[in-house]
Amino acid sequence: MLKRLIYLLLLIPLSCIDPYQVEVPEGEQLLIVEGTITSGPGPHAITLTRSATYGSDYEGFIRPVQRAIVSLRDDQGGTVLLTESQTAKGSYFTDAAFRAEVGRTYTLLIQTSDGKLYSSAPEKVAAVPELKNLGFRTVVIEQDGGENPKSGIQLIAEVDDPIEENNFYYWRTGPAVYILETRPDLYTPPISPTNPNPIPQPKPCCVYCFRTEISDNRSIFVETDDSFNGLTTYLPAAFVADDGMRFVNKFRIDVRQLGISQDAYRFLRLVQQQTETSGSIFDPPPATIRGNMFSLDDPKEVVLGYFIAAGESTQRIYVNKSELTFQQNRAIIPDDCREVEGANFDPPADWKP
Amino acid sequence: MNRILLFLFLLLGQASWAQTSPPPKREVVGRDIGQLKGIKISGRIMDEITGEALVGATVTVPELNLTRITDANGGFELTLDRAEYNLQFRYVGYESIEHRITAVGDGRMSIRMIQEDFQLDDVVIFGRDPEKNIRSTDMGAVTLSMNTMRELPPFLGEVDIVRSLATLPGVSQVGEASSGLNIRGGGVDQNLIQYGGAPIYNPSHMFGLFTAFNADVVNDVTLYKAAVPARYGGRSSAILDIQPKAGAIDRWGADLMLSNYSGKISVNGPLVKDKVSILGGFRISYINWFLHAMNNSTLRNSEANFYDGNLVISAPVSENNELTYSYYTSYDDFAFSSDTTISWKNVAHSLQWKSRLSAKLSLEALGYLTRYNYGIFNDSGINDFQINSDIEDLGGKLFVTYELGAANKISLGALYKQVAIQPGELVPTGQEDILPKKVQDEQGRELAAHFQHEFELGEKLGFSYGLRYDLYQYLGPRTVREYAEGQPISDGNAIAETQYADGEVIQDFSGLGPRASVRYSFDKSSSVKLGYNKMYQFIHLISNTATIAPSDVWKLSDPFLKPQIADQYSLGFYKNLKGNIFETSLEVYYKDLQNVVEYKDGASLILQDHIETELIPAEGKAYGVELYVKKNLGRLTGWVSYTYSRALRRVMTDFEEEKINDGAWYPSNFDKPHDLTLIGNYKVSTNTSVSATFAYSSGRPVTLPAAKFDYSGNSLAYFDSRNQSRIPDFHRLDLAINFKFNGEGLFFEGNWTFSLLNVYARKNPFSVYFDDKEMAPPQSFRLALLGVPLPSMSYAIKF
Repeated sequence: MLKRLIYLLLLIPLSCIDPYQVEVPEGEQLLIVEGTITSGPGPHAITLTRSATYGSDYEGFIRPVQRAIVSLRDDQGGTVLLTESQTAKGSYFTDAAFRAEVGRTYTLLIQTSDGKLYSSAPEKVAAVPELKNLGFRTVVIEQDGGENPKSGIQLIAEVDDPIEENNFYYWRTGPAVYILETRPDLYTPPISPTNPNPIPQPKPCCVYCFRTEISDNRSIFVETDDSFNGLTTYLPAAFVADDGMRFVNKFRIDVRQLGISQDAYRFLRLVQQQTETSGSIFDPPPATIRGNMFSLDDPKEVVLGYFIAAGESTQRIYVNKSELTFQQNRAIIPDDCREVEGANFDPPADWKP
Repeated sequence: MNRILLFLFLLLGQASWAQTSPPPKREVVGRDIGQLKGIKISGRIMDEITGEALVGATVTVPELNLTRITDANGGFELTLDRAEYNLQFRYVGYESIEHRITAVGDGRMSIRMIQEDFQLDDVVIFGRDPEKNIRSTDMGAVTLSMNTMRELPPFLGEVDIVRSLATLPGVSQVGEASSGLNIRGGGVDQNLIQYGGAPIYNPSHMFGLFTAFNADVVNDVTLYKAAVPARYGGRSSAILDIQPKAGAIDRWGADLMLSNYSGKISVNGPLVKDKVSILGGFRISYINWFLHAMNNSTLRNSEANFYDGNLVISAPVSENNELTYSYYTSYDDFAFSSDTTISWKNVAHSLQWKSRLSAKLSLEALGYLTRYNYGIFNDSGINDFQINSDIEDLGGKLFVTYELGAANKISLGALYKQVAIQPGELVPTGQEDILPKKVQDEQGRELAAHFQHEFELGEKLGFSYGLRYDLYQYLGPRTVREYAEGQPISDGNAIAETQYADGEVIQDFSGLGPRASVRYSFDKSSSVKLGYNKMYQFIHLISNTATIAPSDVWKLSDPFLKPQIADQYSLGFYKNLKGNIFETSLEVYYKDLQNVVEYKDGASLILQDHIETELIPAEGKAYGVELYVKKNLGRLTGWVSYTYSRALRRVMTDFEEEKINDGAWYPSNFDKPHDLTLIGNYKVSTNTSVSATFAYSSGRPVTLPAAKFDYSGNSLAYFDSRNQSRIPDFHRLDLAINFKFNGEGLFFEGNWTFSLLNVYARKNPFSVYFDDKEMAPPQSFRLALLGVPLPSMSYAIKF
C-alpha cells in the first residue's frame, strides 16, 4: 500500500501520446511513383498511385493510376515498355528477362491516360558489393504494462565494402518460406445457421506444409559507408517478427542487397526518418521528401516518389527454431495446414532440408 | 480590496508610530582626527539572523542625494564630509532601516537587516530599489532576487530560475519541460548565460526538465533583453547574468532541502573568521530509484542521474580589494532502455578581483575557464561505439568605472576569449569493424573593447550611451573546402581544399555595436525611455529540433557561417502607482536578425565534417508589445504580464531547391503571438502562504501534411510549406501552498511546500505529429509532456 502511495505521490508518468484530430487541408491528388529496377532477375515493377488527404476516412484506400504508358529508356537509346498487370492495379512490369545493367543510366517515362508526360531524372545503376554472408540474432522488445514481449530476428548482412568508392546500400527482403505446423486433429467446422453447434471433426491430414509469404517489411534499411569505407562489416538488413508460426520449425528468407545512388539514399533516409518519428521533443522538423520525378508539361507540378535503379546481390538464409534464443508461444491453427493461404504440401523445388 | 486598504492603514499607522517614538541615538562613526572632508566610511550589510551578506542592497544618503549598492560581500563605501546624516538602508524582502550617524573620520560600520517575514504578515517584492524602474536608464533589464522567485509556485518541488524568468513579459519557452529561453524572438543560443562571470553552455538537467542552477546558492539573476550595456556582448539576443551568493563571514550556517525528485544542501561560513568566507552547495537527484520501481519496462530499464555543485570563496585582500573564486559544475546521464547512454557535464571556474582604487575609480578583473562536454555510448551489441564532443572557453575581462559626478559615470572595459570546440569524435568500442571518425576541431578568439557613459541632465533627463567593438578570428589548423560559385553548397560542388596552419587566421570579422538609451521622467513615478542596441554573435548552436538537445553541437563562425547580427529598437513607458505598490510598464520593440541558421530538409548534423552543406543562411525579424503590472506590497502580491509578439524567419538563398516556403517570411518554431501570465501570492497567515500561476499562450507553429502518399508499404506525409498551422493553445494552472515553522533551537526554520502543477489536467500538446503505426490508420497524434496534474512536495530547513 505504501509503495503504491509513493508511486502516486512521487512519480506519475507525466507524458502521454494519443490520437488527436487536427484540421488537415484537403490533399492534392499528386502522382506517386514507386519502382526499383535492379541487375537481379526480373520482372521489375513500377507502381503508380495518387496521393490523398492525410487522415481521411479512406485511409486504407490506395488509388492506383491505370492505363498509363510506362517505359524505360537507357543511355544507349534502348527502350523497354512495361505492361500493366491484370491483377495488381497500377503496377507495371518489365519482362522476366529484363535486368538493369551496372554502369548504364536509365530514365523512366510515364504518360498518363489524360495525356500528361512525366519523367525521372536519369538514374545510374551503381555496382553493388557482394552480400558475402547473412547472419541473424534474436531481438526481444519489451512491452509496457506487463504484456508479453514482442520478438523476432534481425538479419545481419556481412559486407566487404570497397575502399575506392562511396557506397550506398538498401536492403529489401525477398519471399520467405517456412514449415507451417497446424493441428488438423483439433478441427471443428465453423458455426453457421445450418450448424449452430458444430462438433469437432478431427482431420487426418496434414500437419506440415510449406508456406510462402511476401514479406511485410515496412521498415527501411539503408546505410552509407561513411563509417565503414573499405572494411568488412556487419549491418542490420531486415527484421522478421515472430508471429508464433514462422519459427516453429524451419524458416528461410532471401535478402537482396541493392547498391543505390546518393540521391536515392537521401530520399530513403527521409522516408526512414519520417517512419521513425515519435513526436518527441528531439524530433527533427518535418522534411519535404523530394524525389527524382518531374512533370514534362508543368515544372511546378509536384510528383512524389522515386525511381531507383540499382545493382543487386542476393543471399538466402535458413533459420532453425533451435537457433532462436527467445520464441513466442506457438500459434494453434486447428485445421489442415493446406487450408492456410500460401501453404503447399510439397516443398519448393529449391528447399534444402 | 478592503482588507488591503485596512492593512495599508495599519502599516501606515505603524510607520507613524515609529516616527513619534523618541529618535534613536545618533551614532558617532570614525576616529576623530579633525578631518573635515573626504571621510571614508565603509560598511557591510548582513542578515540579522543568518549573518549572510546582503548583495545589492541600497544605501542612501538623502542629504547628499547619494545612493550606493552593496557588492558581492554586502560591502559599501561612502565618502562624506564631517556632518550628521540619516542613512537609509533598503533591501528586497527586508525591513528598511534608517540609521542616524555623525561622520567624524574614516571608519567602518556594520548594519544588520531583518527579513520582513519575521516582522510583518507581508511580502515585499520590490526590486532592489523601489523606484529604480522609473529612474534608471535601463530598459528591459529585470532583476529577480531569490526572495521573489521563492514566492512563485515551485516547479517539481523547487525554485527554478529559467521557469521563473519565463513568467516575465517577452520571455517564453518552446513548450513544457524544454530547456532554454526565447527572449524577444531570439533563439535559445542567442542568450548569454553567465554564472559568476563565466559562460555556461548547457545549464539544464534531464533534457530541460530541471534547471541546473541550485537556487540556494544564487544571490540574484539579472536579465537584459534590450538596451544591453556595452560591457555585455557575444550573443545577439539577451544576457542572463547569475550571481552566486557569498558565504557569511561571522558564523556557520546550512540549508537543506528535500523534494520528491532531488535533494540539496548548502553550507556556508567563515573559513577565516571575519575575513574569508566559503559557500558550498550540492544537489543530487534520486529519480533513478523511482524509475527502477516503475511498471513500464522502458522506464524500468532507463537510468537518469544528475547532480550539480557550487563553491564560492570570497576573501577581502585589503580594505579596498577583494578576491572571489567561484566554481560550478553540473552533470547528467541518461540511459534509454539500457543500451544507449548519453551524459553531459559543465564545469566553470572564475576568479574575480574587485578593487576600489580611489573614491571615484574602481576596477574589476575577471578570468574564467568553462568546459562543456557530452558523450553518447552505444552498447546495443551491434557496432558499439561512443561519441565524444567538448567545448572549452577561456577568457578574461577588465572593467573600470570612474565617477565624474553624482549621476555621471563612465566605464571602460575589454574582453579577450578563446574558444576551442571538438565537434565530435566517434570511437568504435565493439567487436565489429566500424571506422573511427573525427570531425575537425575548431578554434577562434574574440577581442572586445567597450565604453559606456551614463549621466543625468537635471531630474528629468537621463542618458546612457556606449560603444562596443568586437573582433573575431577563426583560426587554424583546418582544412577548408571551396565550393563552385553560383552553385548550392553541397558535397558535389566542392572544388578545392585549402590547408591552414595552427593559429593561422582563416577568417576575421569585426564590427561596432552601439548601445544607447534615453530616459525622460514626467515626475517621480513615471517615465518614458527609448533604447537601441546592436550585438554580434560568433558562435551558433546547430540544432534542428524543436527544443535543444544536450548533443547539439556549437559551431564557430567560419567562412560560410557568418556572425549573427541583431539590431533592436525599443520604447517603454513606466509608471508606479500608490507609492510604488504597483509597478507598471509598457514596452514595444522591433528586432532585426541577420545570419541566423536554418537547415536543409533532412539535414544530417551529427558527426558532419562539412556542416556548411547542411545549413542555409536565414534572416529573422521580431516585434512585440509587452505589458506588465506588478503589485509589490501587501498580503496579495504578484504580477500580470501580457505579450503580443511575432518571431519570423526567412531563408536567404538563390537556389530554388533550398528555399523554405518559397523564400517568404514564416513563423519560427517559437512564434507564439499571445502570451499571458498571471501570478499571485497570498499570505494567509504569518506561517502560511498560497501561490498560483496561470499561463496562456498561442499554440506554437506546426507543419501539416499537404497530402498522404504511399511508399514502400508506409503511408507517408508530404509536407510542402513549413510552420503554416498551429497546435492548440496552451494554458495551465499551478498551485502551491507553503507552511513556515518558526521555532527555537537548531532547526529554527522549517519550510514545507506542496505544489500541484497542471491543476485541471490539460493535455497541452508539445507537438502534433503524423504517423502510420501498425494496426492503426495513418493519423495525427498529440504528445503532451505534462498530461496529468503533477504533485510535488519539498521540505527545507536552515541550520
